[in-house]
Amino acid sequence: MAPRIDHYDWDGGREALLRFGPDTGPLIVAALPLFEEANRTRTFAVGLLRALAVRGMASVLPDIPGQGDSTASLAGLTIPHMASALQAATSRNLNDGRRTYALGIRSGTLLDHGSSHSGRWQFAPQTGASVLRDLHRTWRAAGHCGDCAAMMSGDTDPVEIAGNLLSIGMLSSLSAAIPFDPVDVPLRVLRLTTDPLPADRKIDASPLWRRAEPGNDPVLIKLLADDIAGWIATCEA
Amino acid sequence: MLPEGYETVESTVRAVLADVLGLSAERVAAFTPTTPLFGALPELDSMAVAGVLTEIEDRLGILIDDDEVDGDMLETFGALTEFAANKALV
Repeated sequence: MAPRIDHYDWDGGREALLRFGPDTGPLIVAALPLFEEANRTRTFAVGLLRALAVRGMASVLPDIPGQGDSTASLAGLTIPHMASALQAATSRNLNDGRRTYALGIRSGTLLDHGSSHSGRWQFAPQTGASVLRDLHRTWRAAGHCGDCAAMMSGDTDPVEIAGNLLSIGMLSSLSAAIPFDPVDVPLRVLRLTTDPLPADRKIDASPLWRRAEPGNDPVLIKLLADDIAGWIATCEA
Repeated sequence: MLPEGYETVESTVRAVLADVLGLSAERVAAFTPTTPLFGALPELDSMAVAGVLTEIEDRLGILIDDDEVDGDMLETFGALTEFAANKALV
């Protein structure tokens, strides 16, 4: 079944979302990584949600403000703004009585704070400090000088990093952001074998989010779709 | 004589270049220490350099100070491998 285009409202306006799979049963709410990595992983994520639909799992992929087809200006946003939008995209489904599960890829896990999910499945989750370090390195590669503090307290607000206009508020909110892991809510973390951080399962694959040109990995999609479907089935049992 | 573990570092750097730049396994397998990188590989622009360095850091468990990054360390495959080995094999 092809994905359907829907929308959701949040305090800052209206954004689009894609719906996959059945209209009943538990619902996966997917969050792409922030900034450039969102573009690099979108095709992969859509493929993953399609594969989950084939396995009978419903999901949504909201356009977070400032990303995808959103017309909201990234320069006016912070991590709490984006997190509140993701929460709004989830709330409507919770209000409809559906149980929800968060699917976070990389820094997408930093946006999943406010919702009462029944579980969280995370792929290569990343701290905000790690994102900030990547941004600083990219900022330096563009010819700027100075440490991370210099980037965050420079002459310009917002700061342009790889074509993204990021406010000082955004960079500050990133510095303290960590993936959400509430007590007593099931959490499953998968990472690549090349990632030394702890995980419930390590996968031998390439980091698509590093590629300058967006790529895809059908083998990885199948593997992750099986993992997610199996884990949610266990949670629901 | 190369220090113990050098081959591991070399294979890690090779894998990072393949993964980040989207190069085929055959292409990176043919890299020798004198294979030119920055300025010779169109895929390795200044943005990609950031990804390459961060992946090398993560996979080898090292930290690269941005002040250490210059054209020399990125000039050839051998220079980049040697830089990473000097960090990882201490």
